[in-house]
Amino acid sequence: MTHRTMTVVGKALPRFDAPGKVTGTAVYAADFAVPGMLVGRVLRSPEAHARIVRLDFTRARALPGVRAIIGAADVPDVRYGGAIKDETVFASGKVRYIGQPVAAVAATTPEAAEAALAAIEVTYEPLPAVLDLAAALAPGAPLVHEEYADYTAIPVFHRDGNVCNRARIVVGDVERGFEEADRIFEHRFRTAMVHQGYTEPRAAVAQWDSSGTVTVWSNTQLPFEVQNTLAEILQTPPSRIRVVVPGIGGGFGGKLRVGVEHFAALLARRAGRPVKVATTSEEELTAAYPRQGAVIELKTGVTRDGRITAKSGRICFDTGAFAGSGPGVASVATLVLAGPYRIPNLHLEGLAVYTNKTNCGSFRAPSGPQSNFAVESQMDIMADALGLDPLDFRLRNIVREGDEGPTGQVLHAVGLEECLRKAAAAIGWHDRRPEPGRGKGLACGWWTTTGGSSGVYVKINPDGTVALNTGAAEIGTGALTGAAQVLAEELGVGLEDIRVVSADTFATPFDFGAQGSRTAFAVGGACRAAAADLRPRLFALAAAQLGVEPEACTLADRHVVAGGKRIALAELARLSQQTGGGLIAQGTFIAPATTYDAKRVEGHAYPAFHSPSFHAHAVDLSVDPETGEIAIHRYVVAQDVGFAINPTYIEGQIEGGVAQGLGQALSEEIVYEGGRVLNANLTDYKMPTMLDMPRVESILVQHPGAAGPYGAKGVGEPPNIEPPAAVANAVAAATGLRITTLPITAEKIALGLRDAQAAGT
Amino acid sequence: MSRLGLSLTINGERHDVLTEPHRTLLDVLRVDLGLTGTKENCLEAECGVCTVLLDGRAVNSCIVLAAQCEGRRIVTIEGLAGDGGLDPIQQAFIEHGAVQCGYCIPGMILSAKAFLDERPEGTEAQVREALAGNLCRCTGYQKIADAVVAAARSRARGR
Repeated sequence: MTHRTMTVVGKALPRFDAPGKVTGTAVYAADFAVPGMLVGRVLRSPEAHARIVRLDFTRARALPGVRAIIGAADVPDVRYGGAIKDETVFASGKVRYIGQPVAAVAATTPEAAEAALAAIEVTYEPLPAVLDLAAALAPGAPLVHEEYADYTAIPVFHRDGNVCNRARIVVGDVERGFEEADRIFEHRFRTAMVHQGYTEPRAAVAQWDSSGTVTVWSNTQLPFEVQNTLAEILQTPPSRIRVVVPGIGGGFGGKLRVGVEHFAALLARRAGRPVKVATTSEEELTAAYPRQGAVIELKTGVTRDGRITAKSGRICFDTGAFAGSGPGVASVATLVLAGPYRIPNLHLEGLAVYTNKTNCGSFRAPSGPQSNFAVESQMDIMADALGLDPLDFRLRNIVREGDEGPTGQVLHAVGLEECLRKAAAAIGWHDRRPEPGRGKGLACGWWTTTGGSSGVYVKINPDGTVALNTGAAEIGTGALTGAAQVLAEELGVGLEDIRVVSADTFATPFDFGAQGSRTAFAVGGACRAAAADLRPRLFALAAAQLGVEPEACTLADRHVVAGGKRIALAELARLSQQTGGGLIAQGTFIAPATTYDAKRVEGHAYPAFHSPSFHAHAVDLSVDPETGEIAIHRYVVAQDVGFAINPTYIEGQIEGGVAQGLGQALSEEIVYEGGRVLNANLTDYKMPTMLDMPRVESILVQHPGAAGPYGAKGVGEPPNIEPPAAVANAVAAATGLRITTLPITAEKIALGLRDAQAAGT
Repeated sequence: MSRLGLSLTINGERHDVLTEPHRTLLDVLRVDLGLTGTKENCLEAECGVCTVLLDGRAVNSCIVLAAQCEGRRIVTIEGLAGDGGLDPIQQAFIEHGAVQCGYCIPGMILSAKAFLDERPEGTEAQVREALAGNLCRCTGYQKIADAVVAAARSRARGR
């Protein structure tokens, strides 16, 4: 259909779910309750690596209020996991990290449940543990999983001992590329483990009915994946597992995989009563799915005039005791390590490595910040060494329209140059070091819009409103408001006319889930398809009523309009209900596959970036020479969003993504010592507060892509990627001090400046 | 465990509850009275999602014992605006796009309410200081700060 002036998309409309959220009536999984519900709690390992020699529930079972206690022997003997089936519900035989579940109890009160946990007797026999990457990769290192070779895994992964995947991109001949270079730069970077920091704990309520069906109300981002994982764990057909997402208090990738749902379902089955399990902050910071800490080594060859001839590099992710998202994250990382640059010769590796720590997972742009921190820090180091302006150096190497990505995909709608130029201009890049202790930094990058399919059912109600039924959960981004705007636009109604029903695996169509910056993109695409199905039916009905040709009909202002005549959608819906069962349509969407050169990749789960987005961050900051404290004066993001379906919430994604990125850049770290987390509370795990955050200025660049609705690209994850590198580059510009490890704390800067002064530099 | 009979004034209405002395105001609000607009997270007064007004002041209800609230005025998000309408702060949060996942929002709004009642012409810097005890992980705080400053202005116009 040719588009008239857009009336709903592209507008900064308030999200449909805001009133319930500001009045406290919106119900989240953590609020959810059913009558007779028991409280579930999990007993966790105090040992990083140990054999369980005795597990005795006798004393705990005898306590008042205790209704169920389960351990490995009480649940189906199943290994599960997305990439590698290496996980069990409870530690079986041995524990592999401090925090690993060993048993769970359900009791009538929280106090009774805690008392039962304390009364469970466990005897451990410690084993040698591998507590960091170096130990895990050392020859002859103890294996976190001796039996790893027997595990079921996606066959593409290259596994060896503690390495649970080695992904690789090889392009051209790096050795020849290095020979063509005038300078070769080698650097090593390190990043810390960080947590998603959602304010709502992971929570689930499970209730079985007499037909053997379990309903699980959960704050998962991926209800359909959790349904299938629960089917494996419970050994129950998926058709007997209903996962409903009441509401989610933030996810950021931390609520993708089964987290507490399995405990609730297993305890409820054993107790014969509904059970609720929710995590504590301590559990979140010791036994959730945080972002992997990483060590990154890069070797890059550059000509004197600033052309990159070759890059080799390796990123090792400390993925913890189970693979989690690690093997895939290691794959994605190689694309980020290449950077949004034209480099003819590449040899890039991503390794996911088992250690005796918590199981890491996915956190907004998984692998992005770690890889980009290294790539973009090194870009500035090299520019400075070559006497080039870091912006000019980037502009000499960035990808542009029609260029190839690292694995051979052809890039279109590349707004990177515009992003770089606009972000730099906004902070006054020409004056990069305006005064002592003050400096400006840039970083740029690219990211994917994850594919996967989405389906929607759409129904026009007899009051003229439109029901949008989607399997995607609204995790806070506003993505379903964006999808609803698309549907409203396509049907000629207002956003206020759309009623959204979401995320119930029995009632809503399949959706690949709220992950990978895909929800507005893919659900919006499905909405367009459903509207395309409805339009000819509406026009046929209307044409008969109005005495016009269907081809003459259009949609506007809640009516079908033809010539000077019109008829309300409400009237057509009533007519259709009387004569034809109503106006109901389904719409499906899957992003077209991205073509790439399979010969360039090995062990790779994510060989190309779909509908890639491009972005640049620019920061202007001052560093206190005594304390090392950073004061951010300006923070600007220019992001190519393709098409801004709702500018307000895209800005919201950018502002929030930068906040998380600055947390990782400046203050956040899950600190491990001897396998134990030292800061498992929200005072010592330092997330930015309102006082810490600068204003973030957003510049929405719009180079429409071919696949998304109106050209939209994924927007949720990218703003989280560049802050660490942008800050590191600005700190170096301000002080001359190059920090190569995250977080860049004031203490680290102050000590670095003191050392530099002592060295007389 | 022995129980205490407490008379709590919540959102202008008297509630008689019988509860153990160790239970928190948060727990009684959410579990006994079903007022789940007050959120629960860290239980250590670190995140602020459980903020309510106690005699007009913002407190973390996770570390206030219900027994300390006998005879005192408690306002939760459900009672902020009368008659099903919206308080100007709630309205401003919607208009400024300050809401994402929304889990921190009830606490954020009540902290803002306590602040603006005390400092009706609060500046952005003062707002940021007053709300620094309320963590939000979605928004980067900017639109929240904007909403509170705008609410201050609209309240001033309304007087």
